[in-house]
Amino acid sequence: MTAHRVRRFGRSGLGFVSIGLPIVMFVLLSLTAPEFFSLENIGNVNNQITALLIVALGQLMVALIGGIDISVGSVVSLTSVLIVSLDPSLAAPAALLLGATIGVANGLGVAFFGVHPLIMTLASMTFVQGLALLLLSGAGGTVPAPLILMAKSSVGEVPVAFFWCVAVIVGATILLNHSRLGLRIFAIGGNAQSAELSGIRVLTPRLACYTLCSLAGVVAGIYLTGRIASGDPTLGQPFGLDSVTAIALGGVQLSGGVGSVLGAVLGTITLGLIANGMNLLGVSPFFHAALTGVLLLGAISLQRRKVIGI
Amino acid sequence: MSETALADSAVRPGWARSLGARFSGLPVSYWGTAALLICAGIARPNLLQPFLLFLILRQAAPLGVAVIGQSLCIRLLSLDLSFGGVALVVSYILTSGYFPFPEPVLIVICLVFGAAVGATNAFFITRLRASSVIVTLAMVLILGGVVTAFSQLRAPGDSPEMLRYIGQARIGMIPVTVLVWLAALIPMALFLRLSVFGRYVDGIGANPRAAWASGIPYVRVIFTAHILSSLFAVLSAFLLVGFVGFGSLSIGADLALNSLAAVILGGVTFGSGKGGMLGPAVAAFMLMFCFNLLTSVGLGEPGKEMAQGAIIALAAIGYAARGARRGL
Repeated sequence: MTAHRVRRFGRSGLGFVSIGLPIVMFVLLSLTAPEFFSLENIGNVNNQITALLIVALGQLMVALIGGIDISVGSVVSLTSVLIVSLDPSLAAPAALLLGATIGVANGLGVAFFGVHPLIMTLASMTFVQGLALLLLSGAGGTVPAPLILMAKSSVGEVPVAFFWCVAVIVGATILLNHSRLGLRIFAIGGNAQSAELSGIRVLTPRLACYTLCSLAGVVAGIYLTGRIASGDPTLGQPFGLDSVTAIALGGVQLSGGVGSVLGAVLGTITLGLIANGMNLLGVSPFFHAALTGVLLLGAISLQRRKVIGI
Repeated sequence: MSETALADSAVRPGWARSLGARFSGLPVSYWGTAALLICAGIARPNLLQPFLLFLILRQAAPLGVAVIGQSLCIRLLSLDLSFGGVALVVSYILTSGYFPFPEPVLIVICLVFGAAVGATNAFFITRLRASSVIVTLAMVLILGGVVTAFSQLRAPGDSPEMLRYIGQARIGMIPVTVLVWLAALIPMALFLRLSVFGRYVDGIGANPRAAWASGIPYVRVIFTAHILSSLFAVLSAFLLVGFVGFGSLSIGADLALNSLAAVILGGVTFGSGKGGMLGPAVAAFMLMFCFNLLTSVGLGEPGKEMAQGAIIALAAIGYAARGARRGL
């Protein structure tokens, strides 16, 4: 058995690092920060990671077919702008429609025209960010009250963010593990040429993955806008890279075919615990980005690929 | 031969076909620059005054220098998105006042730092086989986070006198910055065309597996390319800091994205092994001219971002489609 197999458990990509890191962080924070274990703080962590979790699950879909979508952060920003700019009854459907259009455009560029996913989504990221800033130049606007209620309320002691998390995790699990699309996604990610020779249509699942990722960005944007109760054209800026970091920490192979919903959840929790821990321990928030970068480097160093380069 | 080709050969003489093929094979940047100059001539003729054209060239010089490194990486099927982070650190070293050294020493420190960043990127990309996209983006996070944390949002100081001179002085009508750009571009273009290293770059870009199998020092070439790329990013940051006249925490933020756009527009594509140095250099000028034209017609920053995104997407799709047609 190779070292690679010892470290990882099958196509889920879960390994000792992806499972152990959040556990170690949990234990360390419990010992060093007494207020960490309070119900209020755990609720805060849940609130903070919900949007990232939604985006990370979308990113997971794209990563499983060997792609990457860094435009998803701009989609979050555009959604936030649309929520406060349009009529409340039209805002969410319009955002979903626009998100789906961006996803289809990304998917067509990558799967149909053969543009590198990074280039394609970098271009759409720039375009969509520009559009968001064109529609709303700064933070502001009024968020519909039902949306704020959906994002900030609690059911008993449990914050509603928990139910958002459960809903997206269940949805993603059913899609990846109990549907034909999921099976095709893993087949294409494992070896697109073999999948095509086996009779799988490669184009449609790829389009579906990019569309789902953008739709995840829309859902995260709706949640986040409700939570902060304001529109912000730069709200989603960190999400493009943070979502990649989260799934990479969760053992998802960016070259495709290897990854799991549980991995994406664990990676997101790890990032959430880092942010929360730094906050509790009084570390400068500016170091958060630097630490995320170091973790990202560490996580991808454990994913040795066959090829060198992009 | 397809029916279209047969019909084409029957109607058009040989010289016309060869001329057509040659023109259609030119990078988008040549066509784009010509089209933009014509548009400006019609809509904003003032932009075509030599004085303003040299000003735009001066604006394009930092990007043009960064593009040299980026195109080298892309020709090798890699990518360097860490330019923004490198520029930020260089600006901090030169203008923060925390480093009490003479200007030449500060410049040497920046160059050593650039080489170290390039070597670190290359180590992760070649030895640990990590994706160049993720490695260089992570590097931006680390460098940006550390600089922002250390500077604690304190206003940076003035840039060194020597760099201010390079960034702002002229010889006749020609800005010194443009001469620095040419001094970096021409030797590098000649080096890549005439040296063994240049042949290696072409070979690896065209077919990495074949290059590896034929004994080309694959890892060493990519290692060198990333170090050179970071050094060009440092040089680009020198020009930016000198041109602006003071340090800034947002300096060079769009350098990576613009350089990527310029390289694509300049005809360098992933995996084809093709592409020169002139096309991306023209593309750097084209982008700056485009931004100035858009500003002159009243389009703000958001409109410019949208145009930039659309240009990158259309150019990338155009190249991909053209490559696919040729492949068939």
